[in-house]
Amino acid sequence: MTTTKVSVNVEWLSACGGCDTSLVDLHEKILQLFDAVQIQHWPLITDIKERPKAKIGLISGAVRSQHDHKVAVEMRERCDAIVAFGTCAVYGGISAASLAHSNAEILDRVYVHNPTTVGGAAPKNTVAVLEDKVLPLDEVIPVDLYLPGCPPHANFTFEALAAVIAGRVPKARDESVCGRCKRTMKKTEVAAIDSGYAHPMDPSLCFLSQGQICLGSVTLDRCLSPCTEVGAACTGCAGPTMQILTEPNRDLRTEVAERMSLLTKIPAAKVVETMEAGAKSHYAYAMATKMVGSKPTFLIKKWIEKIEATT
Amino acid sequence: MSQTIIVDPVTRIEGHAKVLLDLDDGGKVKSAGLVVNELRGFERILVGMQAATMPAVTARICGVCPSAHAIAAAKAIDAATHAEVPVAGHLLRELLYMGHVIHSHAVHLFALAGPDLLFGVDSDPAKRNIVGIVEAHPVIAKKALRLRSLGQKINETLGGRGVHPVTVVAGGLSFVPTPERMASVTEMATEALALVQELAPPIIQALLALLEKSPQLAGIKQETAYLGTVRNGKLNLYDGTLRLVGADGKILKEFAAAAYAEHLVEHTYDWSYMKPVFAKVDGKEVVYRVGPLARVNLADGMETPLADAALTAFRAQWGRVVHVTALQEHARLIELLYACEKAVLLAKDPAARGNTLAPVTFTAGRGVAHVEAPRGTLLHDYQVDAAGVVRSANLIVATQHNYAAINRSLTQSAEALGVKGPADGNLLNGLEYTIRTYDPCLSCATHAVGRMPMQVSVRKDGVVLYDVRRDS
Repeated sequence: MTTTKVSVNVEWLSACGGCDTSLVDLHEKILQLFDAVQIQHWPLITDIKERPKAKIGLISGAVRSQHDHKVAVEMRERCDAIVAFGTCAVYGGISAASLAHSNAEILDRVYVHNPTTVGGAAPKNTVAVLEDKVLPLDEVIPVDLYLPGCPPHANFTFEALAAVIAGRVPKARDESVCGRCKRTMKKTEVAAIDSGYAHPMDPSLCFLSQGQICLGSVTLDRCLSPCTEVGAACTGCAGPTMQILTEPNRDLRTEVAERMSLLTKIPAAKVVETMEAGAKSHYAYAMATKMVGSKPTFLIKKWIEKIEATT
Repeated sequence: MSQTIIVDPVTRIEGHAKVLLDLDDGGKVKSAGLVVNELRGFERILVGMQAATMPAVTARICGVCPSAHAIAAAKAIDAATHAEVPVAGHLLRELLYMGHVIHSHAVHLFALAGPDLLFGVDSDPAKRNIVGIVEAHPVIAKKALRLRSLGQKINETLGGRGVHPVTVVAGGLSFVPTPERMASVTEMATEALALVQELAPPIIQALLALLEKSPQLAGIKQETAYLGTVRNGKLNLYDGTLRLVGADGKILKEFAAAAYAEHLVEHTYDWSYMKPVFAKVDGKEVVYRVGPLARVNLADGMETPLADAALTAFRAQWGRVVHVTALQEHARLIELLYACEKAVLLAKDPAARGNTLAPVTFTAGRGVAHVEAPRGTLLHDYQVDAAGVVRSANLIVATQHNYAAINRSLTQSAEALGVKGPADGNLLNGLEYTIRTYDPCLSCATHAVGRMPMQVSVRKDGVVLYDVRRDS
């Protein structure tokens, strides 16, 4: 970090506040950050009311409402460099699962046909109008730096800020979550998909080797791979690897299916079928981005309709 | 002709909330309400997802209290599948959660409320933030940041990640922590307990000084009912029975989370995305509050000695049932003490060792569970099918319970202050104080309310007449 203070505006759109909290998870390093930057606008913690001009604009959250859209445009006007901070800003994130439903359907469930809500009607006055669907940030403004992660590990955030401040390219490798995973990948005789919760699993063996769906091999490491060490398969919260994003013929389900079928006796087609049936979970974080959504064989709406129709 | 005024903190909390004032024909305040301006619609989008992913997915409802959502969801799926969570699974989830509460309460006390406490609510806004505290009170700030870090690191050591933990799953905890991890958690909890005892006196002192300096804060009170959770009568954050007490502290009812729909009812406003909740008592709908103040009001006492002594002192000074919303900070501090003490006990508990996870088998069923989120009772309700897919979901989050009381307080403040026209800074300040004392976390529906610049748009029959605005 430099000694001259660099001005920063922090902003959130449709998000959970987790990216903001992760900034505080710089722990002791946050004091270093305060030394290096002048935080001018950060709705969560500062009292500065306006959005002054700043060198860096850090935006978390997806564009869900017309108001989010307007705020994003204003941030673009006020900041020299815009960082799409976190999976929601980069790919639309978890609330992008709403892609599968119309706004009317969502409003109906929350306000009208809801088990504990009486006399309900969807709000229509004074509230911000929802966009037709969730949009990643770069569909409404140009973005200079993408930092996915739900939230990104503080190390990546610190490096990203340090790089933007110094005017250099951030040091962040294009590795998948497997890169740092400590589990052993080996060929097994497993013949059926395993949910992972019906019986004890081997904590040191690769999930794919055990027939359990894990998105580690198709997910970009912006987390330092902590989950597989504590018994949890990767759910892809940082979004897909560059390989998946940039090649039209590659997809989460086909890549996972190929690897799992090589490691086990489970046919690739069975893995694809399972992942399509669980599409709303497996594609939860990045379905709103055109890089995933525009793939010709990506039929997320159809898959979700199918699973919701089964009772 | 009636009028509507919109107090719009858009420039600060970015459109996620503003305030609406309705005036009657005589220009007097008829009603006021906090407008929550964003919706993500989780109750719809969770349907069709795999039930086993609910803890990790619903953590994303709120990055301020992700562990609370993860635990509520895991407990609900436990209930739906009749999973027999091993004792160590429950204890370690609770320990993880105490870490989260330490982090969350510390963030609130030092980063969100701290600037008001240490500098006063009328101080320079450019300094009135955590950076200002670091500059003006470096020793307190360092200790406070350390305390928060310890809480978050306990949460992370057991949760795999700090924000959005992944180990809290249906059936228990997804892994057995190594002895090294447990030793490090024990060490961190012990350090946190020592730190919180150092930090408590200056916070209480600052709160008293603030109440003296800004007497209007002591005037913001609501004699409401209170809802929270007790186990054997003592305050509990992880599990227990829901207890509703009246404004006089008398127990109105106790019920299990599974029966919430019989006791609580949500309404809608056509001007806000957030739904208020009322308690059903003797055929009437009652306004109540949740959160630290509610919990210390309704509990018989605290389970741990230091927190219990702190509660006794609090009651000696302010009474058995406290309605002044600013004292929420004091209640939060009592809970922070409790969370540190409880974390040490849990970390050292031999029963927290060994198997943490039970197998889970899905059959069609329903599961309801709750947890006391840092800001109040959080309820998750799922219908799942035999394939383990969510078929319906219903959620009631902490700030929803407080919503009716917030609106009532706003109405009272606006009535007391009067509406005097476009340059009415007094109205803006008054409404801002009112909202702040409630500490509404709108993240669960939208976002946390940080600080509030205010903009009031005065409307008559839907047409804006003028704006009252406070810019820096």
